Amino acid sequence: MSLLQSIKNFVRSKSIHVSYVDVGSCNGCDIEVLACLSPRYDIEQYGIYVHNNPREADILLVIGAFTPGWEDKLRMVWEKIPDPKAAIAIGNCPISGCLFDRPHTLIDPPVAKHIPIAAQVPGCPPRPTEIISAVLSVAPLVFRDFEEAKR
Amino acid sequence: MKRTVDVSIPLGPVHPCFKEPARVKCETRGEYVIGAEVELGYMKKGIERIMRGRPWQEVMFLAERVCGICSVIHNMVYIEALEANSSIPVPERAALLRVIVNELDRMQSHILANFSYCYTIEHETLAMYLLDIRERVMDELERITGARVTCAYIVPGGVRFDLRSEDDLHLRASLAAIEEEMTRYMQMFATGPLIALRSRGIGILTKDAAREAGAVGPTARASGMPETDRRLLHPTYRKIGFSPVSRDEGDNYARIMVRFDEVLASIGLIRTCLDLLQPGPIRGGGIPGAGEIAYSGEAPRGELSYFIRTDEAGRVLDIAIQTPSIMNIEACCHAMLVGVASLADVSSTFVSADPCIACTER
Repeated sequence: MSLLQSIKNFVRSKSIHVSYVDVGSCNGCDIEVLACLSPRYDIEQYGIYVHNNPREADILLVIGAFTPGWEDKLRMVWEKIPDPKAAIAIGNCPISGCLFDRPHTLIDPPVAKHIPIAAQVPGCPPRPTEIISAVLSVAPLVFRDFEEAKR
Repeated sequence: MKRTVDVSIPLGPVHPCFKEPARVKCETRGEYVIGAEVELGYMKKGIERIMRGRPWQEVMFLAERVCGICSVIHNMVYIEALEANSSIPVPERAALLRVIVNELDRMQSHILANFSYCYTIEHETLAMYLLDIRERVMDELERITGARVTCAYIVPGGVRFDLRSEDDLHLRASLAAIEEEMTRYMQMFATGPLIALRSRGIGILTKDAAREAGAVGPTARASGMPETDRRLLHPTYRKIGFSPVSRDEGDNYARIMVRFDEVLASIGLIRTCLDLLQPGPIRGGGIPGAGEIAYSGEAPRGELSYFIRTDEAGRVLDIAIQTPSIMNIEACCHAMLVGVASLADVSSTFVSADPCIACTER
């Protein structure tokens, strides 16, 4: 491993910028992601920073079943994120559509059809601790030795 | 008359201050906002289309997933509509437990709204304090109902779980701690000079404009309309002696202070209910039958109405939901945002109306 790569690994392991996008959920998972910010869970001790700006993010949290309004916009958001990047599906909605995936619905799950999903956190809604542990377990898998693995 | 518009500035749908996707298009002259328009349609799932033709047991779970922040009141209004439709009696203890859980839900929703506002005006310290105290409310909600967000606690003819005596003690202890902390945070908000610069006199919604736009909930009560509180008509709330809070300023500051006051009022209501609780059954049973009814309740954001038509087997033939946020969003973009002096105040004014996009679009 080159020196540059090891510096990058060290820096990236303690600086994970997170952005979240709601593509049509009931809001329950949104507030559980927001609850992660609270001093009780204290995500900044792990180096996670919720930015909500795709251009500065490393990890995209996708919340909600896929609605028609996001048809091309979700991919635009995904393409704005610089490499290395990963998307995590939060809740049952982006995985299966939860109980919205019934006849006469407007949604189009799963989100994995539209952007690549690295990890899934099931639950309706998942607890904040589960969301944090998912982010922490995905980040080293994606970011470690990213440049050397690409080559 | 021809209007001079310098530039039309869109905010969103992915925006650091908005929890949910919405697009606010501001027509500005310099930084002065002369008109705003809110573009919705990113969250439309078609819940009412899914609900039609399904048994009431399934619609119950869909109803509480109309909105994740105020899921208890959606559950409560839907079930109480079915009960009023089929004349199902509710035991005394269950009615009080419903009020306790509903007020806990209102507390966490108001604290979350105030957190969002403080976060938007960049007062992160107060925001984090509020988010921390919200976790205590969520703990109590989880202790009583078994889930943090979507709990489906209320069923026709009663509630699912009883309040044990240790829950009672724990709830009273938490309420005392929350009241003490909330009073302190309220004082911080009321006396902070920098908060006042960003909040007082900004985004004014006059009483006439609020009535014209049909504003509901804390937004209307901050403009001096306490009669919009639907809890005044609810039988259990009338029994325990409820009186709404209101303020007259109609600016961002008043809207946040009304929510702080309502959190303290909710603590008082829960204490009254805990004192009135008598041992007894919590579930009387009953099966919803045929009928047609329109029923309203007071959600954390304002008046929530359900229109339900069912057949003999309890299938929901037709359902229509009117949620409070759509009225407040209209009031926000037609009255509050017009005349806002800088673009930085657009997002804070929009957040101060506490828009919930998920239940607006369903």
